[in-house]
Amino acid sequence: MQLAPPATAAPGWLTLPVMVGGIVVAFWVVVALSVELWSPHAPLEMVARRLQPPSADHLLGTDALGRDVLSRTLHGARHSIPIAVVVVIAAVTLGALLGAGAGFFGGLVDDAIMRLVDVTLAFPPVLLAMAVAASLGPGLENAAIAMIIVWWPVYARLMRAQVLEVKEREHVEAAIAGGAGRFRLLGVHILPLCWTPVLINATMDFGQVVLLAASLSFIGLGALPPTPEWGSMISDGAVHFYQWWIAFGPGLAILTVVLGFNFLGDGLRDYLDPRTA
Amino acid sequence: MFRHVVRRLIAMPLLLLGVASVAFLLSHLTRGDPLASIVPERQMSNPAVVEAAKRRWGLDRSLPEQYVVYLRNLLAGDLGTSFRTKRAVATDIGERLPATLELVLAAMLVGTFSGILLGVVAAHFRNRSLDHGARLFALIGSSIPVFWSGLILLFVFSVVLGWLPGPGRLDARTAAPPFVTGMYTIDSLLAGDLRTFVDALYHLVLPAFVLGWAVMGIISRLVRASMLDVLSQEYILTARAKGAGERRVLLNHALRNALIPTLTIVGFSFAYLITGAVLTETVFTWPGIGSYAVDSARSLDYPAIIGVTIVGAAAFLIANLVTDLAYAFANPRIRLG
Amino acid sequence: MRTDTPTRTVLMLGAAVVAANAAWAGQVRAAEGDTLVIARDMDVDSLDPGRAWCDTCQIYLNSVYESLVGLAPDNRTLVPGLAQSWDVSDDQSQFTFHLHPDAVFSDGSPVEAKDVKWSWERLRNLKGGASFFMDPVQSIETPDDKTVVVTLEAPNSEFLGIMNAPYTGVANSDVAIEQGANADPDADATDAAEPWFLENSAGSGPFVLETYRPNDELRLTRNESYWRDQPAFAEVVIRQTKDAVSQAQMLESGAADIAMQVDPDTAKSISSDEVTVEMVPSFNFVYVALSPGATGNQVPLTPPVREAFGYALDYEGIIDFTLGGEGDLQASPIPNGFPGTEGLPLPAQDIEKAKALLAEAGVGDGFAIDAIYPNVNVYGVDFSTMMQKVQQDLAKVGIEANLQPVTFSVWRDHIGGDGIPLTAVYYAPDYFGSGQYAQYFAMTGDSGWSKRAGTDRDPSFINSTEAELLAAALASGGEEQEKLYHELGLEMIKDRIIFPLVSPKLVLAYRDDIKGVRYSACCNLPLAELSRE
Repeated sequence: MQLAPPATAAPGWLTLPVMVGGIVVAFWVVVALSVELWSPHAPLEMVARRLQPPSADHLLGTDALGRDVLSRTLHGARHSIPIAVVVVIAAVTLGALLGAGAGFFGGLVDDAIMRLVDVTLAFPPVLLAMAVAASLGPGLENAAIAMIIVWWPVYARLMRAQVLEVKEREHVEAAIAGGAGRFRLLGVHILPLCWTPVLINATMDFGQVVLLAASLSFIGLGALPPTPEWGSMISDGAVHFYQWWIAFGPGLAILTVVLGFNFLGDGLRDYLDPRTA
Repeated sequence: MFRHVVRRLIAMPLLLLGVASVAFLLSHLTRGDPLASIVPERQMSNPAVVEAAKRRWGLDRSLPEQYVVYLRNLLAGDLGTSFRTKRAVATDIGERLPATLELVLAAMLVGTFSGILLGVVAAHFRNRSLDHGARLFALIGSSIPVFWSGLILLFVFSVVLGWLPGPGRLDARTAAPPFVTGMYTIDSLLAGDLRTFVDALYHLVLPAFVLGWAVMGIISRLVRASMLDVLSQEYILTARAKGAGERRVLLNHALRNALIPTLTIVGFSFAYLITGAVLTETVFTWPGIGSYAVDSARSLDYPAIIGVTIVGAAAFLIANLVTDLAYAFANPRIRLG
Repeated sequence: MRTDTPTRTVLMLGAAVVAANAAWAGQVRAAEGDTLVIARDMDVDSLDPGRAWCDTCQIYLNSVYESLVGLAPDNRTLVPGLAQSWDVSDDQSQFTFHLHPDAVFSDGSPVEAKDVKWSWERLRNLKGGASFFMDPVQSIETPDDKTVVVTLEAPNSEFLGIMNAPYTGVANSDVAIEQGANADPDADATDAAEPWFLENSAGSGPFVLETYRPNDELRLTRNESYWRDQPAFAEVVIRQTKDAVSQAQMLESGAADIAMQVDPDTAKSISSDEVTVEMVPSFNFVYVALSPGATGNQVPLTPPVREAFGYALDYEGIIDFTLGGEGDLQASPIPNGFPGTEGLPLPAQDIEKAKALLAEAGVGDGFAIDAIYPNVNVYGVDFSTMMQKVQQDLAKVGIEANLQPVTFSVWRDHIGGDGIPLTAVYYAPDYFGSGQYAQYFAMTGDSGWSKRAGTDRDPSFINSTEAELLAAALASGGEEQEKLYHELGLEMIKDRIIFPLVSPKLVLAYRDDIKGVRYSACCNLPLAELSRE
């Protein structure tokens, strides 16, 4: 005898990892938005003796300038989260527009854009990010620009493939027969169907952008001191290797953020596309 | 398909030319004094010294002229001379590329085998704690910043426990084995030098693990998913009904089928690893292409920057091509191009 | 129970791992006899004696090539080198060197006067990093095979000290010429021997070059034909190790015998009792500098403003932050212990005075200043840490320092172009003598730092007494010279352009069984003096 699943069962995609991921990401977003109000100590000021191990007052100890590592780690979210958001949105928008244009218009436009995509994708991503960031100079804004330049081709390709596939579908042909103008065609009939894989990729990419930003700062091409950015904090921690707590906080922060986004991305994929679960 | 391959191969030199040009432009537009590694601070205000240096390194010419000269040399196979090491860039890269290859190959081996192992364990113990543990471990690998895991593992295994050696490819007192491939593990085996082999292997463990951890993540997921897919299929039920032992079912049938898509991921990982190597080499002072790239970028060593970019891009393109081919091979329904 | 294949494989692998572990462990302890391992962050820019200019180059050149004059362990007294003896003319403008009759190169051929002349002229004509050493020289004569006569443009009592620098080392001219080297006036365009020098050496020193792999290792072996006592070690390996912590680890595990750049903080965490750690004063120093002539200055850096700056800094605090207290204050750009420095007034923080001076100068409300500095870690001082402390200190008197750490090449671009309002740099002596500091740091209008600080744009802070004092000092000696350099030191303090922050103590970190480790003012670490008991 077949029993119907209980009406109150959770949907298939809402697994424990997804919930944990959601909580973690929500936590960091809340921190990024509000830490100024409740931070245990000021992140940029010397508040205690330098290089102290974790204690009741300073849960993650103090760094080389006597600053509270926990506060700095929490404040790091104010830089890393917004950067990730900006870079992903910008890369997706830029890439999707160019990719859709290439797929839709075809011909020379397609060739030109795809050649640009090819050359950009030929660069190993980290090298390209390094090269652009180095040429623009240090600073988080320049690192963001470098990352956008590295990321947009992926979305361009994705979008173009989607557009090419959707273009052939029946309802589109019907719309063309019905006399729809080109931009209406693109905007109303084609694009809305193309977003799913792009959205899924974008969610997974948030984590990767946080990683790349931290990597650039670690090498010295991102945030300027005394900005409490996670990558440069780990770089500081490497200099003071025996004081392991200096690198521990920011490293754990990056790990949880990226894991959180990965879990969320998985969940989103299961939700939007149950076939590939 | 053959035509597609040929087309991609023909496109490659042109793409590399484009990459070289972009790298040239970017490095020359970068703010900074390329003479920093050539003329010391003490002599910066001495015009005779500065002029002599500019002349020697071709920096007294206009930018378009420099570009033309560079292209001409490039087409003749000359990658120029590094401002920092004063040697031919080709020599530098030739010396350092095997180090990165060794690291990347080791990382792939570690990542692939561990990934398969993890995937099998996860599939076998589906939804039990071992499954969750294995999956979490794998996922952490693809989320953890490589330069952080490297530091932590170095601290734990080299400083605290003393089980593994510190950064570098070999113990300082050990001379490198005679050059055959440039990969110390292989070369020392070829020379029959077991002690050097073991030393090189021990130095390879940590960086290879750190770099391969991310690959482990991707592969174990894939293996688990494929195996679960296969395990529920009819012919497995038949094999079980016939009385085949669980291990045989797992290994002979399920795993074999899961391996095909895994191969394609391995190819993709290779490309990814080349870039992950940059950070790993920095943490472990591994004298490979990655750390060479970082050093060159820092000192505005134009010829080295462009040389490394070209080589990196070439490796990347080749890896991508092989991956696409393997994928098409495994999945004949895909039309390439 | 049948052990099937996979289990057997695992067991075998396990056994192999255990065996390998034993083999490796044994290996690290075993091969110690003849090879010295030094952990260092190498900054080699060339191994060509005519072109090299770097700290590690000093070690290399000193061990492979030899200079005419040596330096005793007290870091002041000159002793014979390749030259057995020398005569100095009364007016300090002509120097006659008599080469040691036994001196031979690594290929057995004798060291002759022509080699000295060739090497020095090549040094000058290649226009490389160390070419300025030959600036005082007017002519070099070689009356016979073992005599070199050098005539200077102007009297220079420090010339002998200059001849002690490893950069003036003598190369085997016959061998080098065969490899494409030359000492002609246009050598900077025609000499092609640098690649050869990266793989071979042609000197008379106790070691010869075995292999060099950039950013990896530098390997030297004993010179079998060395004309003096053989060095104790048959092989010396300098291993590229970038940071202090890794160097300390290598030292503790026995993988390295000497670690050269351990900073005081890391030194304190070395726990092994097989490692000796000594802190000795050095002649190196780290300084910040103001450039009134930089185009980016938001307020004019007039003398009261610069003086206020000097009073705002918490010197003791800076030394504590960057070096855990293991450093010394330094009064002027001339290092402690060099001629003329005795009794110079040390800097001290005085916040009230700083604020008063700023108010007097009309900027009592404070101002912003750009601080572009190289993002480096030298002599144990992490510049970012240091500058953040400086930033905090300046904030207390209302000066807002806008920190911009950049790579060395970007820093060069700035300082050589528009100038930098506030920057941080470091300096190590080229030889024992105070003249070099005046020549570089004094605001004479044509010294290196004058140009950087922008005297071309704003000549108001040129100090004309300094050039006169310098010329007089170089022409004199002994007590007279001390007095003149003392006055020069006071003048440079008054310039308030260069503000020495600390003279870091040098950390000598080495394993207990190594003897002869010391700091040499000319040559960093003399390899030939090292031995293992």
